[in-house]
Amino acid sequence: MADEIRALGNFEQAVEGEDLVFSYSTNTGSDVLAVDHVSFSIKRGEYVAVLGRNGSGKSTLAKLINLLEYADGGKLRVFELDASDDDNFWTIRSHCGMVFQNPDNQIVGTTVEEDVAFGPENLSVPLPELAQRVQKALGYVGLLEMADRQPSALSGGQKQKLAIAGVLAMQPEILILDESTSMLDPKARDEFLQLVARMRADKRISVIHITHDMHEAFLADRVIVLEHGQMRLCDTPSEVFSQVEVIRSLGLELPKWAELLWEVARICEVEVDKSAFTSEEKAIETITSILKNKKADLKKEMPAPRTPLSEKVVLRVNGLSHSYGKKEKKAISDINFDVREGEILAVIGHSGSGKTTLISHLNGILRPLEGQVEVLDASTGEFLSTAKNAEIKKIRKHVGLLFQYPEHQLFEETVEKDIMFGPKKMGYSEERCKELLMESLPLVGLSEDVLSRSPFELSGGQKRRVAFAGILAMDPDVLVLDEPAAGLDPVGQNEIFGYIQQLKEKGKSIILVSHDMDKAAMIADRILVLKKGEQVFFGTPRELFSEKTDFVRMRLDRPLLMNTMLSLKKEFPYADEFEFDYKRAALSLVFGNEEVSSS
Amino acid sequence: MIKDVSIGRYYQADSVLHRLDPRVKVFLFIVYMVTVFMADTAIAMAASFGVILYLTFLSRIPVMEVLKSVRPIVFIMIFIFVLNLFTNRSGETLWSWGVLVITDDGLKRAILLAFRLFLLIIVTGLLLSLTTTPLKLADALESLGSPLKVIHVPVNEMAMTISIALRFIPTLVEETDKIMKAQSSRGAEYDTGNIFQRAKGYVTVLVPLFVSAFKRAEELATAMDARCYKGGVGKTKLHPLRMKGSDWLWMVLLTATAFLPVLVDLLWKIK
Repeated sequence: MADEIRALGNFEQAVEGEDLVFSYSTNTGSDVLAVDHVSFSIKRGEYVAVLGRNGSGKSTLAKLINLLEYADGGKLRVFELDASDDDNFWTIRSHCGMVFQNPDNQIVGTTVEEDVAFGPENLSVPLPELAQRVQKALGYVGLLEMADRQPSALSGGQKQKLAIAGVLAMQPEILILDESTSMLDPKARDEFLQLVARMRADKRISVIHITHDMHEAFLADRVIVLEHGQMRLCDTPSEVFSQVEVIRSLGLELPKWAELLWEVARICEVEVDKSAFTSEEKAIETITSILKNKKADLKKEMPAPRTPLSEKVVLRVNGLSHSYGKKEKKAISDINFDVREGEILAVIGHSGSGKTTLISHLNGILRPLEGQVEVLDASTGEFLSTAKNAEIKKIRKHVGLLFQYPEHQLFEETVEKDIMFGPKKMGYSEERCKELLMESLPLVGLSEDVLSRSPFELSGGQKRRVAFAGILAMDPDVLVLDEPAAGLDPVGQNEIFGYIQQLKEKGKSIILVSHDMDKAAMIADRILVLKKGEQVFFGTPRELFSEKTDFVRMRLDRPLLMNTMLSLKKEFPYADEFEFDYKRAALSLVFGNEEVSSS
Repeated sequence: MIKDVSIGRYYQADSVLHRLDPRVKVFLFIVYMVTVFMADTAIAMAASFGVILYLTFLSRIPVMEVLKSVRPIVFIMIFIFVLNLFTNRSGETLWSWGVLVITDDGLKRAILLAFRLFLLIIVTGLLLSLTTTPLKLADALESLGSPLKVIHVPVNEMAMTISIALRFIPTLVEETDKIMKAQSSRGAEYDTGNIFQRAKGYVTVLVPLFVSAFKRAEELATAMDARCYKGGVGKTKLHPLRMKGSDWLWMVLLTATAFLPVLVDLLWKIK
C-alpha cells in the first residue's frame, strides 16, 4: 500500500457508490448483509442525512466511504478516485473526517491540543504548520482557552467540538457524523449543528450525517433511508417525509407538525396530498383549510380522560442540599418537591444542572448535606428517611433507580441471574425471586427464551430492557429513570415510553430525568426544572409554558408541537396549545369549539 | 466516592527543574543514583544532603511536599535500619541484651543505609515524579529508547500505549463510580462483610468495567484508524523534545553537583 497522500484535483462528485455490497459473519457462522446493493452519490458540498433503525447498515455504509471497511462488491469512487486502488487509500482516508457517537471513545490525546494534533501528526505535517493548524482548528470551534486542559475536564458538548477540531486540522473534504449528536443535550446539540453548518458554508465540505432525529434530517439537502441494508428512499427531506406511510412503516418518526396534520386529516376523514407534508408552513395551511371545510357530522372522538393527581404522597424532599466537598459550591441547593402515587414527574435541566446528584439522593446513594429525603413504607404507612443507615436497605426496596445507559451494569453470566441479582440482595426467598423475575419480563416486553442467554450477546435495545427488568424485579413503588430512552432509535424509544406509561397505570410512581422537553411535556403529570443546582420550577406542564412562567429565562425551549399549535391558534382561538400530545392536540383542533359552544 | 485521582504525584510549579528537558532529568536521575550509592561516609552523606537541599530549592516545591514522597516507604526504611542494626556484629559492642547486640559499626551501617534510601526517594521525587508529568516522562523514554528500534522494539507504540492509558484513567475512574452507584441501587454492598464477600461485591463492578473497557478500546481503535494512525512511522510531533542551551548548561552543572559529595569525601580523606 502506497503511503503517499496526494493533493486532490478538482472534483465535483465527493462520493459515487454503485451497487455496493458488504457482509460480515456473525458468531453463529451465518453471513449478514449489512449493505445490500446500494447505489448513491454525493456531490461536493452536499449535506446528506442517513436515517434508519439501529442495525440498518447506516454506520457500515459510512465506513465504506473512508475505507474503514472494504466493500465486497460494487464500485466506489471517492473524490473521483477509485477506492479499490490501494494507491488512493491514504489520499481518500486523509480527506474524510469522522466524528463518532461517544465523545469519550474518540479522544486520543492527553491534552486538548495534543488530541487535535493527532490527525495531522499521523499525516506527517511538519512544524510550524502543525502548530498553526491546531491553533486554527481550536479557534474555529471555540476551544482555544482549553488547549492545555485534560479532555476529562470538558463537557460532552465540548468533547464533540474537540472531535470536530481534530477532524478540521486534517483539512477534510467530507465530514461523516455517526450519530454524533445523540449523546448531547439540546443546547450542546444546537451548538454542534451550528458549527457544522458554519464549516459547510466556509469550506464547502460535504457532510454525511447519520441520525435518528427527524428535525436534524430536515436540515439536510438530501435524505437517504436505509432498511436492512437496502436503500428505501433517497430524496430531498420534504419529498422523503411526504411519504408518510413509508416513513411510518420503516419505524421512523415524523416531525411533530407532520404528525399533527396526519392526525387531523384522519379524524376529519380527509385525504391529504403528500405535498402538504413538505414544510411546516404548508402543513399549517393544510390543517387550516381542512378545519374550515370539515364536515358537520364527524364521528366525535373524545380524548382519554386524565386521571387526577393522587393525594397520596409516596416520596418527599425537603430543603435538600448537597455539595461534593466542604469548599465546593453546592451541586444542588434547597430542593423541595413531593411525588404522588401513580404520578410521572419529569426532572428537566441541562447537563450539569444537578439532575444526577438529585436522583442519587432518592434511594440514599448520596446522603443530604441539609434537608431530608423521605420515602413512604406502604406496609406501615410511615415514612423512612435516607438519613438513617438502618433504613437505607428498605428504601432501596421501595425506590428503584436506573441510571443512564443502564446496560453498562449487566455483569452476570445469564439474563436470569442478572435480573435476579437485585431481588436476592433485597433478601427475598428463592421462589419469590423467581416470581418477581417472571413478573418483570412482560413489563418490558422480554420473552422467557432470553433468560438463559448471556446479557452480553443481546442487542443494545434488549440489554437496556434486561437492565430495566433488573430494577422492576425488585418491585419498587417509585421508579427513578435517568434518560431511559437515550441512544435508542425512535421505535426503541417509543417502546420504552410505552412501558413507562403502563407502569404508571399499575400505580407505580415514576421520576423521569430527561432533556427532551417534548417527551416530558407529553407524558409528565408534573415537571421539576433544575438550573445550576437550583429548583426554578415545580408544577404541571401547562403551568410551565403559560404566560406567567418565565421559561425563556430558564433556558428552556417550548415544545415543538406547541409552536405549531400557537400558529394555528390565530385562526382557531379555541385550540388548546397546552396539549403536548399530537393526538390530543388534533382533537382539540377539530372538536375544541364544539365543547365551547355546548357548554 | 472516588474523586480527584492524580497519576503519580506531579506538583505544579514553575521552576528550573520543571522546565528541564525530561531526557536530561532521566539522565541526571541515573547519575544521582550512582553518586548516592558512592557516598558511604558521614561526610559524604552530609554533603549529599546539602545537594538534595539545593535541588529542593531549585524545584520550588515546599519542603513538606517533598518529604511526603517518603511516607510510603517509611516502613521499609525502619525495617532496613533495624535489620542492619542487629545483624552487624563487627566493631565495639554498644549495647546487648540476650542475643540482641548493637555494635558501633552496625549503628553506622544502619543509619547509612536508611539515610541512603531516604536520599534516593527524594531524588526520584525531585527529578521525576514531582516535576515531570507522566506524559513527558513517556516522551523521554520514547526518545531515549529510540535506538532500540534497530532491534525491532516497538518504542513508539509503547509510548502511545502509555499515553492512551494515562488519557483513559480519569474516564475509567468516572465509569467505576457510575457502575458502583448503579449496583448499589440494586443492593450490592462494597464496605460490609468479610474479605470474600467484599471481593464478590467487586465482581459486580469489575465485569461491567472490563466489558466497557474492551468496547472503548474497539471504538478508540476505529477512531484512530479514521484519523490515519499508522504507527510511529513518519509521525510528527506537536511538542517535540528539543534540547536548548539552558538544558545543556543545567545538565553539566547538575552532573557536577552530583559528584560534589564524592569530591568532598576525597578531599577530607587526603587531609
